[in-house]
Amino acid sequence: MKFLEQPPRFLFFTGKGGVGKTSIACATAIALAEAGRRVLLVSTDPASNVAQVFGTIIGNRITDIPGAPGLSALEIDPQAAAQAYRDRIVGPVRGLLPDAVVKGIEEQLSGACTTEIAAFDEFTALLVDSALTANYDHIVFDTAPTGHTIRLLQLPGAWSGFLESGKGDASCLGPLAGLDKQRAQYGRAVEALADAERTRLVLVARAQRSALNEIARTHKELAAIGIAQQYLVINGLLPEEEAKQDSLAAAIYEREQAALRALPAELAALPCDRVALRPFNLVGLDALRQLLGATPSPANASEDEPIALDAPSLSELVDAIAADGHGLVMLMGKGGVGKTTLAAAVAVELARRGLPVHLTTSDPAAHLSETLHGSLEHLKVSRIDPHAETERYRREILAAKGAELDAAGRALLEEDLRSPCTEEIAVFQAFSRIIREAGESFVVMDTAPTGHTLLLLDATGAYHREVARQLDAKGAHYTTPMMQLQNPKQTKVLLATLAETTPVLEAAGLQADLRRAGIEPWAWIINNSVAAARPHSPLLRQRARNEIREIDAVAATHARRYAIVPLLKEEPVGVSRLLELAGRAVEAA
Amino acid sequence: MTAIEIYDPALCCSTGVCGTEVDQALVSFAADVDWAKQNGARIERFNLAQQPLAFAENAIVKAFLERSGQEALPLVLVAGEVALAGRYPSRSELARWAGLVETATEPKHSGCCGGGSC
Repeated sequence: MKFLEQPPRFLFFTGKGGVGKTSIACATAIALAEAGRRVLLVSTDPASNVAQVFGTIIGNRITDIPGAPGLSALEIDPQAAAQAYRDRIVGPVRGLLPDAVVKGIEEQLSGACTTEIAAFDEFTALLVDSALTANYDHIVFDTAPTGHTIRLLQLPGAWSGFLESGKGDASCLGPLAGLDKQRAQYGRAVEALADAERTRLVLVARAQRSALNEIARTHKELAAIGIAQQYLVINGLLPEEEAKQDSLAAAIYEREQAALRALPAELAALPCDRVALRPFNLVGLDALRQLLGATPSPANASEDEPIALDAPSLSELVDAIAADGHGLVMLMGKGGVGKTTLAAAVAVELARRGLPVHLTTSDPAAHLSETLHGSLEHLKVSRIDPHAETERYRREILAAKGAELDAAGRALLEEDLRSPCTEEIAVFQAFSRIIREAGESFVVMDTAPTGHTLLLLDATGAYHREVARQLDAKGAHYTTPMMQLQNPKQTKVLLATLAETTPVLEAAGLQADLRRAGIEPWAWIINNSVAAARPHSPLLRQRARNEIREIDAVAATHARRYAIVPLLKEEPVGVSRLLELAGRAVEAA
Repeated sequence: MTAIEIYDPALCCSTGVCGTEVDQALVSFAADVDWAKQNGARIERFNLAQQPLAFAENAIVKAFLERSGQEALPLVLVAGEVALAGRYPSRSELARWAGLVETATEPKHSGCCGGGSC
């Protein structure tokens, strides 16, 4: 493995939830410890399965791992860190200020930015030289801060008179106000990140076209900040011999190889390692040692063991949606779970029932909306370009509002406008023009704002005014936009996820966030299920078996109702394949 | 010199970009505060989301919040007395309270409410 050669002091693994960062970070830490180094493994995995992996309780203190001399681990829970941070700010005024005010403040500090900054705050002590880390040769992190966070920390404008005095006008850095650490310490931590002698960043992705494009963007963003030493790991590749086992495995193999051939140029220039899909669960030292090894291990799931799966189809779910005759359907989920495809499948199912549907997507590739447009009676398709909308929104604000700011203030405003919230708001604003149609027909959207954003917009009243103005122009009757979103007769939120641990946990997080805003997700959709595709290949059957536990968790604890969508051999493009996706004919293998 | 205290509503960004519309009044006011400070005014801003204790510890501000709610912010105190509520002050108001003389370089913007939170 190239990324293991001559490793510097700090190793960071970054990539989307579910790509296997934590497993690879654990395997790396074991490999380095077995080479005689003293290693500290730092995990922020929300699944918190590092403890399970090593069979010992770890938690928020440095713990030696039994059976692995030289290896210690530390678990950071970003949610808990963010909660502790909120308590520091809100605790002293609870009972002193009106409850509504206290609740409002808590919401301000409940966004993704706060969680991310709180996690970084926990990192800083490990990145600067201290007694805490003096005993270790390597510190391995299973996550990395985003470009947005690092850039904010680098901006002098964000700091001037801010942390030092505890007051001032910083923006997205607002969440930093209550943090303990000094600016100098943050400065040194950011410096360590950008020092190629000390820090190596390993990008982890699956061999899927969209995932590789996304990791290419992460690469460019972090390289621009100065994190120049980057490596690429393609994880979970289906081995060639497996492709001979069945047609689904062959199709997956072909798709992965095609994605690798089309690797974005900037990634192709990086040192790259490939890690094969393993048939075993990555739990225990032995399994992790094998992960980065060369020898493939045979799968142990035999053909005759049945995979018990109760898989309600998407089509059945759409029956219930169709019963209301009209309404807004929003697909929500983390990037890469297939929201656009699922939105299209729901829209096609509704249109096939003779119901008028407007499918509106933010699909950057546009090929889906193009292939569907005009292909089915009752189906109207439109598309907004999220990058164009966000750019337009940024330019408008900078032109109108940035003119009077000095250089530092303007730089800060520009960075604020690069936050994930800005894109979410710009896209949702563009969609809100179409939402009013949901009173008479179906509107299906492939994106939804988070509960946190809705609460903030609702609190400022800005969203209310925005929609009210558009509705008033049509003379339509309405209550408030937030009430429309909270009413399941008018709005149904479908949470999309994959049958894997981290994606399920991430979807549960989104659900909790929506519930805070008084919105109950109507159903969950588990996409790309190998189990529902009834594979024959032993490796895929093993994966299918692993999915069952996650599917059971969704069915038993998370979802009020759910559907399972099988992994298809071909990309689900066009009406007939989308209908196949939603098909009723999914049975237990 | 007279101390001016501004109690801001809970803003996720002081520039307000998190809202669907950036509040021009807020952006202009940030520039005005900078100008006044550079000319020697003593101005302090407190953000409800970041320094709630400052709101709780001042009896006037606390009572204002209890009576009128956070929707009624911002609140401006001059020498500890309520000078203005519900909108941000203009540059000339700031100058008058702080005893400054305005120069001719004041950028053109409306001194009255620019929408948004007022």
